[in-house]
Amino acid sequence: MALPLYERALNQGSYGLVRLTPDRGVDDAPRTAAVEEVPSLLPSRPLSPGEQYRFHFNMTRCIGCRSCEVACNEQNGNPADIQWRRVGEIEGGTYPNTLRHYLSMGCNHCLDAECLKGCPVDAYTKDPTTGIVLHSTDACIGCQYCVWNCPYSVPQFNPERGVVGKCDMCKGRLDHGLEPACVNACPEAAIEIEIVNTAEWRNNFSTAESPGLPAAIHTVSTTRITLPTRLDIPLERVDADQIRPEHAHLSLVFMTTMMQGVIGTLVFSLRRRASFRELLTLLCITSAALIISTLHLGRPAYAWRALRMWRRSWLSREILLFTLFAASLATMTAGALLHDTSAGFHSTLRSLNAAVGIAATLASAFIYLVPARPAWNMLHTPIDFLLSAAVLGSMASALGYSRSLTFVLPTTAAWIANHALRLYRLRASGLFELRATYGLLTSDRLFAQLCASFAVIVMGALAFAAGYIVLALLACSMGVLLARYLFFVSVVPLKMGLTFLQGRHA
Amino acid sequence: MSPTKTVRRLLGLDTAKDQYAYGEDPSYGYISESRVAEDWIKTTCGYCSVGCGMLLGVKNGKAVAARGNPEHPVNRGKLCPKGLSEHHILNAPGRAKQPLLRKNGKLEPVSWHEALDTMVERISGIQARHGAGSLGVIGTGQLVTEEFYTLGKLVQLGFRTPNFDGNTTLCMASAVSGYKLSFGSDGPPGSYADLETADVILLIGANIADNHPILCNRLDRNKHRTLIVVDPRVSKTAMMADVHLPVKPRSDIALVNGIAHILIRDELIDRDYIEHHTNGFEELASFVSTFTPEHVSEVTGLSTTQIEQVASLYGRAKAAFIGWTMGVNHSSQGAVTVAAINNLALITGNIGRSGAAPFSITGQCNAMGTREAGFTSSLPGYRQFDNPAHREELADLWNVDRALIPKARGLAYPDIIEAAVAGRIRALWFIATNPAVSFPNYKVLEHALRGVEFLVVQDGFHPTPTSEFAHLVLPAAIWGEKEGTYTNSERRISKVNRAVKPPGQALSDFDIFLALAERLGVRQDLYPGWQSTRDAYSEWQRVSAGRICDYSQFSWEEIEAAGGRQWAGDRLYSDGIFPTHDGRAKLHCVPCDPFLEQPNQEYDLILNTGRTVEHWHTRTKTARVDLLNKMVPHAWLEMNPVDAARLKLRSHDRVTVISRRSHIPALELRITSIVAPGQVFMPFHFAESNSNLVTLGAFDPISREPNFKQCAVRIEKSGTH
Repeated sequence: MALPLYERALNQGSYGLVRLTPDRGVDDAPRTAAVEEVPSLLPSRPLSPGEQYRFHFNMTRCIGCRSCEVACNEQNGNPADIQWRRVGEIEGGTYPNTLRHYLSMGCNHCLDAECLKGCPVDAYTKDPTTGIVLHSTDACIGCQYCVWNCPYSVPQFNPERGVVGKCDMCKGRLDHGLEPACVNACPEAAIEIEIVNTAEWRNNFSTAESPGLPAAIHTVSTTRITLPTRLDIPLERVDADQIRPEHAHLSLVFMTTMMQGVIGTLVFSLRRRASFRELLTLLCITSAALIISTLHLGRPAYAWRALRMWRRSWLSREILLFTLFAASLATMTAGALLHDTSAGFHSTLRSLNAAVGIAATLASAFIYLVPARPAWNMLHTPIDFLLSAAVLGSMASALGYSRSLTFVLPTTAAWIANHALRLYRLRASGLFELRATYGLLTSDRLFAQLCASFAVIVMGALAFAAGYIVLALLACSMGVLLARYLFFVSVVPLKMGLTFLQGRHA
Repeated sequence: MSPTKTVRRLLGLDTAKDQYAYGEDPSYGYISESRVAEDWIKTTCGYCSVGCGMLLGVKNGKAVAARGNPEHPVNRGKLCPKGLSEHHILNAPGRAKQPLLRKNGKLEPVSWHEALDTMVERISGIQARHGAGSLGVIGTGQLVTEEFYTLGKLVQLGFRTPNFDGNTTLCMASAVSGYKLSFGSDGPPGSYADLETADVILLIGANIADNHPILCNRLDRNKHRTLIVVDPRVSKTAMMADVHLPVKPRSDIALVNGIAHILIRDELIDRDYIEHHTNGFEELASFVSTFTPEHVSEVTGLSTTQIEQVASLYGRAKAAFIGWTMGVNHSSQGAVTVAAINNLALITGNIGRSGAAPFSITGQCNAMGTREAGFTSSLPGYRQFDNPAHREELADLWNVDRALIPKARGLAYPDIIEAAVAGRIRALWFIATNPAVSFPNYKVLEHALRGVEFLVVQDGFHPTPTSEFAHLVLPAAIWGEKEGTYTNSERRISKVNRAVKPPGQALSDFDIFLALAERLGVRQDLYPGWQSTRDAYSEWQRVSAGRICDYSQFSWEEIEAAGGRQWAGDRLYSDGIFPTHDGRAKLHCVPCDPFLEQPNQEYDLILNTGRTVEHWHTRTKTARVDLLNKMVPHAWLEMNPVDAARLKLRSHDRVTVISRRSHIPALELRITSIVAPGQVFMPFHFAESNSNLVTLGAFDPISREPNFKQCAVRIEKSGTH
């Protein structure tokens, strides 16, 4: 890619060109007063194969003035709540030997971009020439899975648009030989664009690491950071005490609980042929759950696009399996209405349907196994999804039939044990984000809900034992809903350390 | 939003694509379509006194973008976050759009005629009953120089009250007084270019990384400098320093005297310069002899090694620069501290040469303009009230009776407020300033604001915490809506241009002043034939001709083309001749007194106040820029972990700051080693958490500048108070 900056500055006298890349061939051209030559913040040669562009952030130069953040929002016309470039603060030491430094980060244009891998609609591409991780707002359906996947919380959902957006290294400017807006704005020349050999970087990316940033290994961030030379004082993020609950995603709380209830019921009803009314009820719940799930999307009308990336994205797989499950359930329901299927066929369909359901539940759980959200990325997540299905299913399948404690008691006990064990592991964890999740769950704000989630499950089991099946089912549904709500709000994502007052930002 | 649009949005069929489209700006290339301008207006930033050159992008009569002007010598294309987003204030909500007059206790819209007629009638009535001096006028550093010049004549010769001062007294008055003490005149001797050529730069009480970020860019162009930062707080600037001196609050005079002691002891002084260009060296040498490193170490909390090292660095520098801001000025010993700083420059000959200067880094965009042309603490053109020749010269230039020129300065800002409390001032007129947030010891100020018979607030914004008290609100145009000049810290006169029309019925301050002069019947006498600020500039050029701040050689056009011109050139006093009676600078013996309100058992912590880069002064402007305001939406209090542990406080606790005067509730606590044990810090920008509820009403006896920086407080967890 050519960077014809010098020529452009000379010929057009453009105000926008503060920094110049001397371009061989025009060196002898007459220089105008408007052109001041300073060290370039752009590479002076085109990219070769196996190379990509990256940011270099020189922490020793940054004075925390935040011009880069403003320049970014001005460049992209973003509202104040969305910042594709953010400045964080890190500090350490004891007065007066105190150290303060700043982080200024856009997208890290990672080699293993998790945002891209998880996207169900292929809205992300890693530009083959520049290595820039690009996002298409046209393709995006606003599922925000990339927001969960990125350990730096780089992609940000814009509710006004219903889609995600992110730093694209100002590709539109780079294509015209201009440095990104943040690079251009920085009064201290602390940000620049460099070329990196991807194979060499993958081999050693230690200079991508910095206090206040998640480990680069998750995604192989390409941003190179020049750290201060003084290493005797450890620097820590200043927003660490600023943990706020995350978005509740209520549509997902309800959708997952309802689907698990339906699937569990069908699994526990495998031994018998369900009636048309039972199947119709389950089909209605399934349809409602799937409709509710689209409310999670910024662009529900394009939900169907999410089927596209089933080869790569667990979100696509979940949607595909839920769709198949709904289709097979509809077939079973139709069969029950028409009474024209053989018992053998029906039994096969039942088993198939249950298998698809379990697979869908697992796919659903695997969505949450993202390294960027440590409290989700635990074995407890798929176990919880399966056990929730089992608790609700073992109770619901007893409705209208004789109650049996054979399944209900072990499943509720296992459900409680799984949650209790998870809590214990959160508390004992060496990882800040997991301990922070425990802290949130036991904070004034959430502790009552946490206790209630256990209490209603226990009450549900007792009610079942006493023969109040409807009551038991209601109580356990409430317990699962509450636990799921807590699952969403209490996750503490990996992200860059922000400023003291801005830490509450997503 | 229309119902169809809402549905389309909810379904995701509409993603506001047009609003977020990118376009091609002819000058700046690929950028959000919303920032593509039709026209770029050259101007100068309206926030601080660094005075950055700017281009303001305009489309369809609206400001859409702000850019640093790469041709401007001050900032060379760079801007701080406030400057980069400055166009937003021109479309911001909360602007004052029509005159409002209080009728039956309520502010009601009135015509300009009624507003100005009422103002002149009420003020004339009060003055008739209580004397001309019963009107107090408080100006600002925010207008263009042409307006300051016009206003000065209006107040002193039209309204004929001497009780006229500016909010610059809250800011740079100590520097002004200190320069006068040492050199015989105001005027910062150096230039920003000195930051690039000095080999030692000593910043005292100046957090330029937060307050003047673009100067860091100038400083960082100097690869050979040693930067020494004197600040009790580990500020952003302290982190840039090669040597940080974490002094105890208000021990700067001891440090400066201690450096002078070592310089004299070690013969690191310029005997030749002292002999030819200064008075009072022997007295100074004898006076600082007691400021031994051991004594200074005790007062400042620094080690003797640190003090010796810094003195040696300064003394051995080929060109040493001393910059200071509010850490020095915001003190009841501010003026003399400046004189003590000037001593260092004088005894080492570090003045009048490239890289060598004592230099106050000014606050407001045009504080310098009001100092030079404003007719408050001196007569226009740095002429002296008590100099008959100066008075006569001015009267002749203006073609007015010589007896009309006041022989002494009227009341300074704090004294005007005190006189209002005492009932000697009966009418107050505030122009482009917000004392309800910026003036110390709010309770006393409130008394004054409530007590006067007639309170006029002229501002670009309404409501402001001050305009809410007003009897009359005059809506004024702001930066970007009017034409004139600003003068920055380094005496650079830069052009300010009109890019858009003022909103509603708002008028430029200049037009308001002329309309008042008309009603007072003095327009033809004071402003013969004037129509625009250009006429004011022409007269100011004549009035300043031959003075140290000589504007006569620079036309508006020339100023604009050159990216600003510095009056008196790159630096003052390069010939070693000072505007004193004998042409010599004066060395002063400055004792180091402890600050007034020392902590005790009940009020055990020292409160320090300051700024943050995202906000400007009392936030009338930056609170309206969404991004800046969301970056720092509210105030906070910094406390050392040692004190937090003692008080059993945790980070993010809401705390109350209590002084003898009042309290500030519900501040978010930041536990940090940025501040020393025994000290706490909070930003002063926030009306909602107004630091001036607790600050001290103590003022410098010379400059009348408030001692904002130190007062004794205690901290309690909110809810327990």
